[in-house]
Parts: sequence; C-alpha cells; structure tokens
Amino acid sequence: MIENARSLNIAASLILLIGMLYILGPLYLTLATATQSYEFLLRNGLAWYPGDQFLNNVARIFTETRIPIQMLNSLAVAFSLAIATCVLSFLSAYAIVYFRIRWAGIAFALILATIMLPVDIRVITTYQVASNVFSPVNALLDVTGLNGLIAEAFGAPVQLELSVLNTHFGLIAPLVAHGTGTFLFRQFFLTLPKDLFKAARMDGAGPVRFMFDILLPLSRTSFAALFVLTFLSGWTQYLWPLVASSTPDMQTALVGLARLLPDSDGEVPDFPMIMAGAVIVSLVPLLMIALLQRYLVQGLVLSEK
Amino acid sequence: MNAIDTAIRAAAASITVKGLTKAYDPQTVVIPPMDVELKAGEFTVVLGPSGCGKSTLLQMIAGLERVSGGKILIGAREVQDLEPKHRGCAMVFQNYALYPHMSVFENMAYSLKVAGMAKAERAERVAAVAKMLGLADYLHRKPGQLSGGQRQRVAIGRAIVREPAVLLFDEPLSNLDAQLRHDMRVELADLHRRIGATTVFVTHDQVEAMTLADRIMILNKGRIEQFDTPKAIYHHPASVFVAKFIGAPPMNILPVTGDGSALRLADGQVVANAPLTGAYQLGIRPEDIVVDGKADGHAVKAALRFREDLGSHSVLAADLGGSIVRVATPFGADIADRLELLLNFPTSRLHLFDVATGRAIPGAFGAQ
Repeated sequence: MIENARSLNIAASLILLIGMLYILGPLYLTLATATQSYEFLLRNGLAWYPGDQFLNNVARIFTETRIPIQMLNSLAVAFSLAIATCVLSFLSAYAIVYFRIRWAGIAFALILATIMLPVDIRVITTYQVASNVFSPVNALLDVTGLNGLIAEAFGAPVQLELSVLNTHFGLIAPLVAHGTGTFLFRQFFLTLPKDLFKAARMDGAGPVRFMFDILLPLSRTSFAALFVLTFLSGWTQYLWPLVASSTPDMQTALVGLARLLPDSDGEVPDFPMIMAGAVIVSLVPLLMIALLQRYLVQGLVLSEK
Repeated sequence: MNAIDTAIRAAAASITVKGLTKAYDPQTVVIPPMDVELKAGEFTVVLGPSGCGKSTLLQMIAGLERVSGGKILIGAREVQDLEPKHRGCAMVFQNYALYPHMSVFENMAYSLKVAGMAKAERAERVAAVAKMLGLADYLHRKPGQLSGGQRQRVAIGRAIVREPAVLLFDEPLSNLDAQLRHDMRVELADLHRRIGATTVFVTHDQVEAMTLADRIMILNKGRIEQFDTPKAIYHHPASVFVAKFIGAPPMNILPVTGDGSALRLADGQVVANAPLTGAYQLGIRPEDIVVDGKADGHAVKAALRFREDLGSHSVLAADLGGSIVRVATPFGADIADRLELLLNFPTSRLHLFDVATGRAIPGAFGAQ
C-alpha cells in the first residue's frame, strides 16, 4: 500500500534524514579529521571541517606504521577465504543436490548448523585447536585408552603437536567452515531444470565434465556474489585475527589500525593519522563492491537467467 | 534423402529385453520380470497410467537407472552394465533439459564434442540436422530465446545428431499446449518416416500412442498388458485394462451371466447367444452400439440419462440394468426427448473378458 498523505511523507523523510546523519556523521568526522594535523587535533579535538594535511597523513601511514604490510595480510586472508569458501561450498552443494548420498539431509543440516556457530562463539576452542591441530587426535587417543597401550609398548604416550597460530593458514582455515555458501549454491542448483544432469550423462559427460561444462558456467553469478560477500567478511574480521596472530607482521590491517592507539593512558592518540589509515583500509572493500555490485545483486536473486 | 537420414537409418538397432526387473526393495517391485523385443527401426510407444513403470523402463534402457536383474540388448550387444554414453542411446526429456548457457549450436554439438569429434565434422553434422529440423536460422540463439516448439526441436536435434542406435522420448509433448502438441506429433511422425530410427516413446496420452506408434506397449503395474499395433489394440484388446484405457469414451464393460445358451445382463435381458455358463465381463465400444436400427445382434432396452453433443457426434449415457452405457451416435440423431432407447449390440462387435483375470476370451462369439 502506498500512502500519499503529506504529513506522513514529511515524517518519513525526517526519520530518513536522521538515520542518514547517524551513519554519515561519523563518516564525515573520519574524513575531516584525516585531513587535519596532529597539532590541530591537540588544540581543537576532532575536526568538523576539512584541512590540508590528508596526503601528509597518508604518507605517514606508509612510512611510520605497518599498515601497508598488514593490508597485504588482509588481502591474502580475504582473498584466500573467498576462494576457499567458494570452492568448498560449490563442491559440497554439488554433492548434496546431484548425488544420491545416504544421510545427505543430515549432512546438509550439519552444514547449516555452522551458520549458527560463527567464530566469535567458538573462539576459545578454535584457539585451542589452532594452537595444536593434533589436539583432537591426542584427546581421542587419551580417551580411548590407546595412549596407555602405546605408552606401555613404546615407553611414552603419543603427543603430536603442530601450531598454526601466527600463520596465514591459521588465520584463514577456521573462517572457511561456514555453511552460507553451500546453502546459496544448493538453492541455486534447485532452480535449474532437474533433467540437466541426466541429459549431460546421455551426451556422454560424466560428473566431472558436467560440473565444468554445465554447472560452473551457470553458477557464474552465484560465484561472484559469494566471492564478494566472503571477501568483505574476511577483510572486516577482527576477533579471530586479533587472537590468532601475535606479531605485527602477521596481523591484518583492521587489527593493525586498532593497535595504532597508544598503550599508555593520558597520551592523546594521533587521530588524524589513524583516520587516514581507516580511509585507506576502507578503499579495498569499497572498490570490490563498486566493481562487482552487479553480480552481487544478480547472484542473490538466486535464479537462472 | 540426404546423408544424415541414411546414417541414422543405418545406425538403428533392435532392443531385446530378457527377464528385466526393477525393484527398489523386495516390497516395492516396479517392474516384474519382462521379456520383449523391439524391432530395428520400429516406433514403439510405451503407454500406461502414471506409476506403471514406463519411465523406469525407459531410463533402464538409457542407462540412467540401474537394472535389478535381467538383460538389455541393443542390437546383439548386452548393455545393462554399460554407462549411458556407451549404449548408443539418445534421449529427449519432458522439460527439454537444454543447457541454458549454450547456444542452439553448442547444445546440439555438445555430445559430439565430448566424444572428441573434430570441429569441422561437428559443424557439418549439426548443420545437416539443423537444416532437417528447420533450425538453421536459430543456431546462434540461446534456448531462452526460443519458443516451446523450437526448444522441442532443439532437444530432438541434440538427440539425433549423434546418429543413435536408439532414440528415447520421455513424455516430450506433455509440456506443450494443445495446438503445438498436435503440430509436433505430425512432425515427429514425419521425422520417423524419414530417418527410421528405432524409437521408444513414453506417454500417458492415448492419442499420441495411436497416431505415432508402429506398435503400442501397454503397461500396467510394470507388466505388459498388450503389445501390438494400434489397430489390433483398439479392435482386439487383450484385457479389460486395455479396453478401458484406449478409446474416448472408453469401451463399455458390463457384467453378464451365461445360462448355457445366452448371455444375460443383470436385469435379465439377453444381449448375445453363446453356449457359455457363469459370470463374464462383456465389452462393446460406444461407437459399435446401434441405436434403434437393425443389426445382427440382440436389442436391449435402456433408459437415457443424459447426452453430450460434441459436434462431430453425440455421446449418450444410458442406464442398462444398473450400469451406465455410453453410446456414440451421429450428431443430431432424433432422440432428444425420449427416455427409453432400444440399443442393438452387434454380436461381431462384442468382446468377452474373464471376470477373475480380466483377460479377453477370444472366439467366444465365433470368428471375429
């Protein structure tokens, strides 16, 4: 229903305006402060009007901080996360939709359950596993009593150890386990004509050929949408990179930005430089959306063209 | 006749099915052991109600469904354990199942490409088939830009471009509207006359079966009720099931009792002379009953219930000893307001069926 009352229109516009101010205000503050000098900040606080120090602040980000290398880390994490998620989701959805698998329903339910378990919830256990990827194996050996037998036979129990903390792999792997992509692809596959798989088999194409020749080209837009979404979520991850990386050279840009705040109390943070850093760090996801927004919408519509 | 026609005719092979069964588990047997032979170049229509196993049979021939037992031979080759691509079958699906992202040309050439055929030869083959099907102007289009009939033709083209030994159709016309269905039926009949491929066509539409088939295989719960020419199936149905399934309106089936010299209806009227005793089912087609006129059979009285005027003819429904009998008469026959009809059952047009088995009893009224 479309209301056309004048008073309602004014009220709605007003609410919209307030909402926009609420979002754009801090953004403006960020941009304005990024263009002022540290001395200006010390005298006047956050800037409400732009200055002429932006390039200077940007230069300082590149010379005085580790944000550039941390951005490379972020890029590596976000990119690998997006690729790994796309490939894994596509393959698992392919298996669930096109093959008669026993327990396929249960497998899909478990995959969906991962959506309810983001890394923020399981951060402690995930940290434990990441600090020693064999810890589940060790625990299993202990619980089953196998380790007791091994200790008797060889003199010592098995204790395997491999830490992936502070590596790119450790930053990425725990984030890949997420069911959204599988769900997205599954829903898309279900919209395709159901005899397509049989038709391809009659044409002599096996499951692998069908995947590469038919399914993959048809899924292009879904791929792009999932890629953008996962890339953005990877770029903006904060909690996991914070706990999983310990050296500045392994931290991501978002963690690095937060670390620019001085540790000691009483010191005024160099907000102009930090804001300039925030602007630079935001550029990459912004560019991503600008380039791929067409696919983002198409892919989420979830249907064959 | 051009090269592709000849090639397809040469590739056509017979299909022999020996003891073929399909069961998902011991309780749900879809197809009990079946033995049948389809001749090379023959157009066989598999007809039956939904759930009779006709699609399962087709998919087993194609190799899309595993067989539970028995053998399938295409030509002299046992194929039941082969992958679909090694069987030499091609299939046209109900919803076409064209590849949406490929052009008409790519759709038709895909199987040849997978088989590793050289590019030039591929193009030549597709061009020949496209020309035969009137698709030459649409080769660069995507399936989404085609009409229903054109998509259907692409699906057929994709199947025959491989010069298959066997051409399989899985209810290919059921998605089309009435007019287009009629046109495609004519086209299919014409195509088969030209290329002579061994064809198995699954449908639940008796008109498609009657018009297209060399022989019709009627399936009921996975069993072959009758496998014969359309004419024989219509005029000599082998069972009550076939008699009721074919014909619109279907054959009338009336319970009768033999007293040793004549067959009597439930209300005692004599419909035929026959030296039979016991209960039987009597069948007669609506168009074989003569209203009022003289014929070489007995006349019985029936009460008219209602009539449907269909233009080409009228269908009367009359109450005869408690069962409804349908009678087809010429349009506008002067019987509008009469409640009682005199129906003449020509003895030569009667069919007699066993009550318990439903099978036809041939020769019950002398030679037919």
